[in-house]
Amino acid sequence: MTVLVFVEHAAGEPDELSLQALAFALDFAGGNGVDAVLIGGADAASDLPVGTAHVAELDGGYAPQAWARAIAQLEPSVLVAAGSERGNEVLAHAAVMTGGALAANCVAAAPGDPAEVTRMRWGGSLLEEARIHGPVKLMTVAPHAVAPATAAGDPAVAPFTPELRDEDLVARVVERVDTSTGGLSLAEAPVVVSGGRGVGSPEGFAPLEELAGMLGGVVGCSRAVTMAGWRSHTDQVGQTGTKISPELYIPCGISGATQHMAGCKGAKKLLAINSDPEAPIMATADYAVIGDVAEIVPAITAELRRVSG
Amino acid sequence: MIAALALTVAVAVAVFLFARRVWLLARLLRMGHAPGIARDDRVPERLRQEVVVVLGQRKLLERLVPGLMHAFIFWAFIVLFPAIPIAMIAIVDADAAPHWGWYEALANVFCVLALIGVATAFYIRKVVRPRRFEGSHLGEADLILAWIASIVTTLLLYHGTESQVWAWAHVLLILGFLVYLPYSKHLHIATAAVNVYFGRTRARGRLEPLRFDDPDVPEEEMRFGIGTVEDLTWKQMMDAMSCTECGRCQDACPAYATGKTLSPKLVIMGVRDHLFAEGPKALAAETYEGPAVAESGQLEEMVWDCVTCGACVQACPVNIEQIDHILDLRRHLVMVESRFPSEAEPMLRDVERQANPWGKPQAERAAWTEGLDVRVLEPGDPVPEYLYWVGCAASFDERARETARSTAKLLTAAGVDFAILGALEACTGDPARRMGNEFVFQAYAEQNVATLGEAGVTKIVASCPHCFNTLAHEYPDFGGSYEVVHHTELLASLVREGRLSPTASEEQITYHDSCYLARHNDVRAQPRELAAAVGQPVEMERREERTFCCGAGGAHMWMEERGGAINEERVREAAETGASTLAVACPFCTVMLDDGVKSSGRDLRVVDVATLLAESID
Repeated sequence: MTVLVFVEHAAGEPDELSLQALAFALDFAGGNGVDAVLIGGADAASDLPVGTAHVAELDGGYAPQAWARAIAQLEPSVLVAAGSERGNEVLAHAAVMTGGALAANCVAAAPGDPAEVTRMRWGGSLLEEARIHGPVKLMTVAPHAVAPATAAGDPAVAPFTPELRDEDLVARVVERVDTSTGGLSLAEAPVVVSGGRGVGSPEGFAPLEELAGMLGGVVGCSRAVTMAGWRSHTDQVGQTGTKISPELYIPCGISGATQHMAGCKGAKKLLAINSDPEAPIMATADYAVIGDVAEIVPAITAELRRVSG
Repeated sequence: MIAALALTVAVAVAVFLFARRVWLLARLLRMGHAPGIARDDRVPERLRQEVVVVLGQRKLLERLVPGLMHAFIFWAFIVLFPAIPIAMIAIVDADAAPHWGWYEALANVFCVLALIGVATAFYIRKVVRPRRFEGSHLGEADLILAWIASIVTTLLLYHGTESQVWAWAHVLLILGFLVYLPYSKHLHIATAAVNVYFGRTRARGRLEPLRFDDPDVPEEEMRFGIGTVEDLTWKQMMDAMSCTECGRCQDACPAYATGKTLSPKLVIMGVRDHLFAEGPKALAAETYEGPAVAESGQLEEMVWDCVTCGACVQACPVNIEQIDHILDLRRHLVMVESRFPSEAEPMLRDVERQANPWGKPQAERAAWTEGLDVRVLEPGDPVPEYLYWVGCAASFDERARETARSTAKLLTAAGVDFAILGALEACTGDPARRMGNEFVFQAYAEQNVATLGEAGVTKIVASCPHCFNTLAHEYPDFGGSYEVVHHTELLASLVREGRLSPTASEEQITYHDSCYLARHNDVRAQPRELAAAVGQPVEMERREERTFCCGAGGAHMWMEERGGAINEERVREAAETGASTLAVACPFCTVMLDDGVKSSGRDLRVVDVATLLAESID
C-alpha cells in the first residue's frame, strides 16, 4: 500500500497544513511507503520526507478538477490531503474520479479494510468514528489536529504531464484582485456602520456609506433591512448573518433584537443612534445619541470633515 | 350453476389480487421501526377517538359542506355493506335473496345520500376548486368518485328492477374497487381507522425521543431520524398509507399560506411515494442501500420551512402526524448529513456551548431580577412551592425580560413562594431539538433533570410555552416528572382566588394564541380570562386550537424566512380586529409579532398578558 499525499505549497515552501497531513499519512502508513503529489513547485518538493514526489506540470492558479485529474492518474489507493478549503475541494473531485470514498476532517486513522477513522463534526464539538470501505480511500486531515512533519527527506522528484479532458478545465483563473487594497470584509472591518428599519429606505443608507467611508469602515444592516429587501443578506449583521468584531460599531436605527446583538457582541465600542430611548440596544451601548438617523449621521460626517480639515 | 361458478371465480380473483397487495403492505409495516412513544396505551381513550373521529367524523365536520359530503359517503359505505352478500345471493339464486323491505328502504336512502355526496364532491372539485387540492392527484379522485357513484347507482337499479344484471354489475364494480383500493390513495378506507387509533392521545407537542444511548437497542435497529425507507416507523408508514390528499393540512399550514415550498400534504405524499417505490426493494435486498427519503420530491427543501405549529396535525381528519416525519427528516439531515440552513449553525453552537441560543454568558441569566425581590436557589436551600423556570428568552432578550419582571412582581404581590435557578438554569434544549439535533437536546434534558432533582423541585411555573411543553411532556422521557403550569394558568388561578385584583380598562385587547400553548397543550381559557380581567377582549378569526403561528417555532427564530412573512400575516389579522393591544403569552411571539408590527407600520402594542396584568394592578 502506497499512501499518496497532496501537498499544497506557496513560495517554494510546502504549506503548514499539508505538512500536518503528511505527518498523518506517515503515521497511517507506519513510517514508509508515502509519496507526495504537488501541482507545480518542484522546489517545495525537494526535501519532503517521502519516497517519490510527483510534480504535475500544470498551472498552479486555480483548476481543482484538473488537479484532481492529475492526482487520479497516479491511481492512489490511499489519498490524504490537508482539510483546507482547497484540500477538501480537490479531494472531493478526486473521490468522484477514482470512485473512492472520502472522509473529511479526520483527526486519527488506522489502516485496514475498512480503514477506521475518527473525524470532527459540528465544528469540532463532536467526534465521529467512521469506517471507509472500498479499494480507494481518501481522507482530509482536520487543521491542527496533528503536529506537522519536520524531518527532511530526499525524494525522487518525478515530473509528469497529466492528460486532461475538456471538462477538467471548466474552472480557470481569469483575473486576480487583491482584497487587501480592495473592499474590506464586514467580518474584519475595524469600523462598521449599520442601518436598521429606522433608516427608512434603501436610499437612506447613503449618509451611512459616507460615514463608513470617512472612518475606513463598511456598512452593515439588520435583519429587518434584509427582509425588506433594501440590502443583500451579505450585509446582514447578526446571529443568522455575519458576526462582526470591529473596534467601533455604529448601529443606526437598530432597536437591538437579541439575534442582532448576538452578531455584534465582539464589538469593542458601541455607539447607538436611535430615536427611541427605550430601545433594547441602549442597554448595551457604550455611547448613545437619541435622535433621527437622517439628521444625526450627516451631522457627524460634517463634524468629522471640519475636524480633519 | 354457471352463475355460481362465475361468481366464485370473480370473487377468488379479486380476493387474490387484493390479498397480494395487502400482504406487501403488511410486510412493509412489519419492516417499520417501533415508534418512540407508546401507541397502545390508554385503550378507552383510543376507542373514544374511534367513535368520535371515525364514526362521528368530527374533524371532517369542522367544515360543514365537505364534511357532510364525506359523512354521507362514509355512512352509506357502512349501511350498504350487507347489500353486497345479498346481491351475491341474488346472482346465484334470485329467489333465495332476502327482501327485507325496511333494509332496502334504508339502503335506498343512503344510496341517494351517497350520490348527493359524490355530486357535492364534484361540485367542490370542479367549481369551487379550493387551494387545498393543489398538488393532489385530481384525476384519481375523479375516478374514485365516479366508481362510488356507479356502485350505488347499480344498487338502486337492482332494488328497483330486481334484475340479476344489476346485481352482477353491482358486485363486479365492488370487486374491481376492492382490487383497485390498495393500489390507490383510497386505501385510506382501510387504514384511516387504524391510524386514528394509534394517534397521539395527549401531549400532542411531545416529540418521539430517539434512543441512541439505550443499551437494550441493538445497533442495527438504532435510528437517527429518517435516512432511507428502512428508518421509517410503522406509524409513519401508516400515516403515509392513510393520506387521501384532502389538503386540510396544507390549508392550515402557515408556511404554505405565505408562499414557502412546504406543504405538509406533499411531505406525506413524498414519504408514501418513496415507501412504495423503495420499500419492496428494501424487503427484497439482503443489505439495502437506497436513496434517502429526503431526496423524494422537494422534501429536503420543505422540511426546513416547518414551524412545528401543529396546525396540520390538528386539521388532519385521520390523525396523520406530519411533524414526526418532518422532525425525523431534519434529525437525519442534521445529525448524519450535517446538511441544514447554515444560518442556524451559530444557534446550535451557542446552545451547545453557552447553554442558550444567543451565546450570552450564563452569569447574566438572573440579571433581569435587578431591583426585584427574587430568590435565586442555592444548593441546600429550602424547596420553594413553585420553581419559576424563566427560559432563555425572558432571561436574555430585552423585550421578553419585561414578561419575567411582570411575572415575578405578580407572584410576589400574590404571596406565592417561588424561586429561580439563576445560572443553574440551562436551555431546555428545545431549539436544538426542533432543529433536529437530538444529541444536544438529550444532553440538556439529562443535565436539567439532574439540576431539578437536586433542588427537589416538584412544581414548576414556566414563562415560555416551548420550555413549558418540554418540561411537562418531554422531560418525563428522561426521568424528570413535574407538575408544570404556564404563567398564564397560575396567574389566572390567582385572580380567581382573589389574590390578585386587576381592574379592567376600556382598552380593546386581542389575544394571540401561542401554538405550544393553545394547540399542543390546550391552554386557551386562562390567558383569555386574564385579557378579560384587564381590558375588553376581541377575537381574531384564527384562534384557540386553530391559531396561526407567529413564525418563530421549529427553530425559525434562528433561521431566515423564505417567501412571505408569517408574522406580518398574523399582525394584519390582529390589526383588523380594531384592537389597540395585541396580547401574547410567549416570548418568541412577542419578538416576532413586535417585529411584524414595526415592519408593516401598524399601530399596535405587542405585550405579554402578564405585563398587562401587572400594569392593571400597579
